[in-house]
Amino acid sequence: MAYFITETCNGCTSCARLCPAGAIQGEKKNRHVIDLGLCIECGACGRICPQSALQDPTGRAVQSVKKQFWAKPVFNHKTCMACGICINACPAGCLKPGEPSRKDKNAYPELADPGACLSCGFCADECPVEAVTLEAPPEAMAKAG
Amino acid sequence: MIKNKGYMGKILVVDLTSGEIREETLPDAVYEKHLGGLGLAAHILYARIPAGADPLGPDNMLAFVPGLLTGTGSLFTGRWMVAGKSPLTGGWGDANCGGTFAPEIKRCGYDGIFIKGISEKPVYLYVDDHTRELRDASTVWGLDTVEAEEYLETHAKEKGKKPKVVCIGPAGEKLSLISGISTDKGRMAARSGLGAVMGSKRLKAVVLSGQKRIGAHDRNEMKRLSRMCNKWVQFQPPFVTGPMTAFVGALLRVMPTVLTQDGMLYKILLKKWGTVSMNQMSPEMGDSPIKNWKGSSRDWGFRKSYSTNPDVFKNCEIVKFHCYSCPLGCGGICTMDDKYTHTHKPEYETVLSLGGFCMNQDVKGIFYLNELLNRAGMDTISAGHAVAFALECYEEGIITRKDTDGLDLTWGNAEAIVALVEKMVKREGFGHVLADGVKQAALRIGKGAEAFAVLAGGQEPAMHDSRNDPGFALHYSVEPTPGRHTLGSHLYYEMYQLWKVVKGIPKIPPMYLKGSKYKNPEKQAAIGAANSRFMTLVNCTGACLFASFLGAKRFPLFDWMNAANGWQLTPNDYMDLAGDIHTIKQSFNVKHGIEPKDCKISDRALGRPLQTEGANKGRSIDIEAMMTHYWEQFGWDGRTGKPSPETMKRLDGGV
Repeated sequence: MAYFITETCNGCTSCARLCPAGAIQGEKKNRHVIDLGLCIECGACGRICPQSALQDPTGRAVQSVKKQFWAKPVFNHKTCMACGICINACPAGCLKPGEPSRKDKNAYPELADPGACLSCGFCADECPVEAVTLEAPPEAMAKAG
Repeated sequence: MIKNKGYMGKILVVDLTSGEIREETLPDAVYEKHLGGLGLAAHILYARIPAGADPLGPDNMLAFVPGLLTGTGSLFTGRWMVAGKSPLTGGWGDANCGGTFAPEIKRCGYDGIFIKGISEKPVYLYVDDHTRELRDASTVWGLDTVEAEEYLETHAKEKGKKPKVVCIGPAGEKLSLISGISTDKGRMAARSGLGAVMGSKRLKAVVLSGQKRIGAHDRNEMKRLSRMCNKWVQFQPPFVTGPMTAFVGALLRVMPTVLTQDGMLYKILLKKWGTVSMNQMSPEMGDSPIKNWKGSSRDWGFRKSYSTNPDVFKNCEIVKFHCYSCPLGCGGICTMDDKYTHTHKPEYETVLSLGGFCMNQDVKGIFYLNELLNRAGMDTISAGHAVAFALECYEEGIITRKDTDGLDLTWGNAEAIVALVEKMVKREGFGHVLADGVKQAALRIGKGAEAFAVLAGGQEPAMHDSRNDPGFALHYSVEPTPGRHTLGSHLYYEMYQLWKVVKGIPKIPPMYLKGSKYKNPEKQAAIGAANSRFMTLVNCTGACLFASFLGAKRFPLFDWMNAANGWQLTPNDYMDLAGDIHTIKQSFNVKHGIEPKDCKISDRALGRPLQTEGANKGRSIDIEAMMTHYWEQFGWDGRTGKPSPETMKRLDGGV
């Protein structure tokens, strides 16, 4: 299963530029197409699409969200095992092992490149100990009231 | 498309001679029978490498496989394996490695990458979601493993996340038969000499950058099991200081009885120090061979081993290194002030093979040699063996300063040992004699030098003394990959605690007499067969040996396999499948002309002649009886160790 682009698409290309798997093809100003074999169902296209032209794999229309409100991963170091599953799961490559502290030599993951985060939640999905949660950036929420 | 199974259902087959790269889709039945990882590699290599193929020729095939459970939400399953026909032993060869490479094979959509043929020019294989191509590697050919990896990480892909790299170093390029394949700047799949196979194909590296999702039948169940397992991993009471581990070892030596080991103790040591926690404990116990198997715990006492005590390594560790999906993190990155500034924390095997095994107390030199060998892509266990072998030949007067380019190869001469390894890595002068391991060195030196070569089927055994644990003697001698310490021993069996979940295998009482291990070869063989089957499963799933020490109840391997694939098999069903996979590996050896009898480890490691002092005083192993019983456990011929022709025919159903 994969995401699907409906005829509402106006070919603005923003989804194709964002797609981490390079699964979206199409000419500018023409309806784009998602390659079933390449789509990894991260949903970034749906979140970014100004036309809300995307359907998720279950056929529901996806609402677009302003990028500043996209939820980002937050790591709970109390339960985190520093096993690297989330870092490997991230299709955007925006997670990195952080710096170890003097007390604890483990390199816990951190969001090294927030701008690249797609808010796909794969890190939280794959974490076996539920040490990753997705939370909307508090400063953006505060601004928006 | 995301499969609701732990496997991807495809493999990639690359022919370097013609440049053809194609995908093959495998039916579910293949996975149900051979699981994945090592089992899948055995199945395909057995069918596709023709009998009599030259290990360094175009017909040999190199397989890179992750595990069946890699990336499914299970823990400790981030290990990958490389397999092929070994140029060192002439039979089945495989090597296991951790790091972060394993899931990347699956993220590219494959359960294995199989490479045959020989390229005219040096190339590297690049695979991502859109591209599968062989690229010119002339810029990285000749670079060491760390330099090559750094170059390829930055140059192979323009944008997005960094690709993952496995590569060979100069040792592999120069076809050293003890060279390995490196990833994560110094994690090595080192044994069986498969680096030379990659070098002979002129394949410098495999670079992967995939984005595919890895499926699982019931991810919530996978995670639930992981959380249960993780509870045991995180349990970490305060423990003694580094040098005090020596006293634990000494206590184990002097006690006539043995308390059956629970792997939790070893887990605690690993989490605190890593494998170097055994640097003092093992020699005290008699678990470390000393002075090319000639010495004993008396020759490498507390004072001698003190310079390599675990705290030395802990104190210069700046960050812990976890393989993918590992909550324990036994590895680390250490700083050093030498030609190199950083190195992966040396493992116990490295420290012993270049330390006590050569009577070398120079810890600074061991750090340097560790990094040097990692960068060259050479196996530290075999390299240490080759050095110790040369030291003994020098002591016996078989070689003199004239042969050694002026090096004074006396036991423990740190400067000479460093100089010798540097020569081996570059294949210069006397280094060339040793650069292909002990077997070749003995042939090149001649003059009766083979009397000092301790080998199992052409492979140098590891730093665990078979006289101290008959299980090691058995596995060194009977495995399709002889001379390996990561497949089983009596101690491992105690820690696996398999009898708690598998029916019909010997149970170990909570306390037993030390001498009882050396009696009853039939029971020892049954234990050995169970070990082999279980480790086959561990290697099929991409799991870690150290995790299996937690015990079968705490490390739910069988339940994970069911939850990941929606199967409903019992542990005994899995052990039967593993037996078949083990038979395929043995059949591979027979097909390629190996006589299983000839893989028996050298007499010195069996206590023939008996040691006169130290922990293993008077210990000898009745290996012949154990080998016969072991082979019969798998339904092979007890006299020759060969599976029957009917069995081999049944397995030869190629895909």
